[in-house]
Amino acid sequence: MSQVQQFQYDNKIVRAFGMASFIFAIVGMLVGILIAFQLIYPDLGFQAAFGKPLPAFLTFGRLRPLHTNAVIFAFVGNGMFMGIYYSLQRLLKARMFSDTLSWLHFWLWQIVILSAAITLPLGITTSSEYAELEWPIDILITITWVLFGINMFGTILKRREEHLYVAIWFYIATWVTVAVLHIVRSFEMPVSMFKSYSAFAGVQDGLVQWWYGHNAVAFFLTTPYLGLMYYYMPKAANRPVYSYKLSIVHFWALIFIYIWAGPHHLLYSTLPDWVQSLGTVFSIMLIAPSWGGMLNGLLTLRGAWDRVREDAVLKFMVVAVTAYGMATFEGPMLSIKSVNAISHFTDWTIAHVHVGALGWNGFLTFGVLYYLWPRMYNTQLYSQKLANTHFWLGTLGIIFYAVPMYWAGWTQSLKWTEFTPEGILKWGNFLDTVIAIKPLYALRAVGGSLFFVGVLIGVYNLAKTAAQGSFLSNEAAEAPARSSSAHPKGEYWHRWIERRPMQMLLASTILISIGGLIQILPMVFMDSQIPKISTVKPYTPLELQGRDIYIREGCVGCHSQLVRPFRGETERYGEYSKSGEYIYDHPFLWGSKRTGPDLWREGNKYPDSWHYNHMYDPTTMSPGSIMPSYTGLFENVLDISTTEAKIGALRKVGVPYPEGYEQQANADLTAQAKKVAENLKSQGIKDTQMEDKEIVALIAYLQRLGTDIKIKK
Amino acid sequence: MYKYILQSVEGIQLFGISAFLIFFATFLVVVYRAVRSSKTEMDHAAHLPLED
Repeated sequence: MSQVQQFQYDNKIVRAFGMASFIFAIVGMLVGILIAFQLIYPDLGFQAAFGKPLPAFLTFGRLRPLHTNAVIFAFVGNGMFMGIYYSLQRLLKARMFSDTLSWLHFWLWQIVILSAAITLPLGITTSSEYAELEWPIDILITITWVLFGINMFGTILKRREEHLYVAIWFYIATWVTVAVLHIVRSFEMPVSMFKSYSAFAGVQDGLVQWWYGHNAVAFFLTTPYLGLMYYYMPKAANRPVYSYKLSIVHFWALIFIYIWAGPHHLLYSTLPDWVQSLGTVFSIMLIAPSWGGMLNGLLTLRGAWDRVREDAVLKFMVVAVTAYGMATFEGPMLSIKSVNAISHFTDWTIAHVHVGALGWNGFLTFGVLYYLWPRMYNTQLYSQKLANTHFWLGTLGIIFYAVPMYWAGWTQSLKWTEFTPEGILKWGNFLDTVIAIKPLYALRAVGGSLFFVGVLIGVYNLAKTAAQGSFLSNEAAEAPARSSSAHPKGEYWHRWIERRPMQMLLASTILISIGGLIQILPMVFMDSQIPKISTVKPYTPLELQGRDIYIREGCVGCHSQLVRPFRGETERYGEYSKSGEYIYDHPFLWGSKRTGPDLWREGNKYPDSWHYNHMYDPTTMSPGSIMPSYTGLFENVLDISTTEAKIGALRKVGVPYPEGYEQQANADLTAQAKKVAENLKSQGIKDTQMEDKEIVALIAYLQRLGTDIKIKK
Repeated sequence: MYKYILQSVEGIQLFGISAFLIFFATFLVVVYRAVRSSKTEMDHAAHLPLED
């Protein structure tokens, strides 16, 4: 027996991440509530109170990515690090490898979040969902992630406990997969400090995006939290996990299957059928490991269910794992093509993700916080009653959020596809389908607010808990040094890998890479395989600038650019989308939600003046519209100093602008802008001096959308 | 028609089939070994979180 060693666990870093998690829960959810209310009161009363529309940085399009980023990377991200830093030290019987690295990790991560909070409302965005941050921040994320990895693997290497518990496998898989995903999704060509274009175009960009986006859910929101479940559920219930064998199968099957499922976000898109089918098949298979894990968590409570009645920690955890079970049953169902045809682009998706985010991630984080705070402060929880109140407000909040969104989603889908007996669309005006669900949007805002009030009560409860206790910065512990004693011959194979973190890392990396490689590599062939449509040309400089305004304002948050091959869509929008139409789209802008109509065939549908009036005040052209006014576009002078760099950057990623076109681009831009301005004048627009304003570029872009394959009159 | 463009890539259907076979083989190995594993070893591992 080796000598017993004395050491201390670092609780300070756990507390820091925990506090950050709670603070950003408040920020992220507050932004969510703000944009939820915008769907009912588009200008939030600004016009009435201040005589001007909502400022651009508060509009839905710009704040929606802030909401998703804040919840995913700030709230859940900090929550994940809190949970990992606490459990990793204890499972390995070792202090974190380096306090300096721990704090560097903490502060750099908060700087990333702060950068997001500044850049996203300013409209600095790549527009790729959950990867909106621009390239300098991407680099900072990479550095932070590497430091976290060094700290984690350093701790694993100097551990006193030989065997790596299942939670740690999940942490390792999380680390490596997020690294791979982040790097590949960040292949982009910088134009300036705050602007870049995706290296991929059109359908390729779409595939990379949803391989990334889906696995951000899988490996940022799921695997680390499963690791937390495997540590904190047994701790809170004071009994071992139900089946360790099941956890082995759960782990390997889950990480291997998850990575393939991304294409289910692109069903009925222009993505090749075989990739869509692969996404569907693997998504359905995903039920097995997901439910295996969920049951393993719930059955850990066997014989302890009576305690769930009293213990707030267990309550939160039970609902979290149940929500996980519901979301992971629903996910595969949504991946079936015929179900997806109904759900895609509707609020059904919003309901689905919020069961996951509020239920699974939110409640597990709260459970862990309520577990950790009294222990780290060496006291009891200030009030079980308040914790119960938080629990019930949260649970009701989830129900009041999700149920109206399911209802809204089904309503949308039914109305979008309903035909009269004469064979014409019953709801031909898209806006009518929006107005019909506004009451449901109002209910959702109430649900979200309930959940939010619960969080505030939680913060108060934990602050009071902290005030009545005394914080254990360094918790004393002891354990024998790790002995490398001989292992019996014929030992169980998985124990072998459980002692070898680097082999575990390698095996995880191989498994998660296979899916990505098989799906994405053939798509690289497409460049040579896809017959270009001869009439599809790169955007003109003015349209390009207009497209970048479209990206800046986050239009993609509410408008898709993908007409699926359904009668309900071709009747409403026009010819369904073809891969060849998008080959110059860096990035792709298919979107994932239609709060407004699809815009892919918007070009030439209305006169320029329609767009002009509509962007100034959408309700003039579409009474009852909930789109914000974009009056800023009528005052801002278009910045044409960037044109040259943009053309150059796009040529580098494969858009065939002729050599030297940069020099001529702005002359072409000005000429086209003059033409748009003349059109506006001839169509009765009284304003003068419009040709150098941003609105002209945006109109030029909108009028180009989807027209390349239309027969020109 | 562009949807089917990859059909012109030689042997493209092998990608889907190989994907499934790789997964299924991995899965069978993991399940087989997990089922065969010793109970005492499993119990020790499962109790790790409760030992600190």
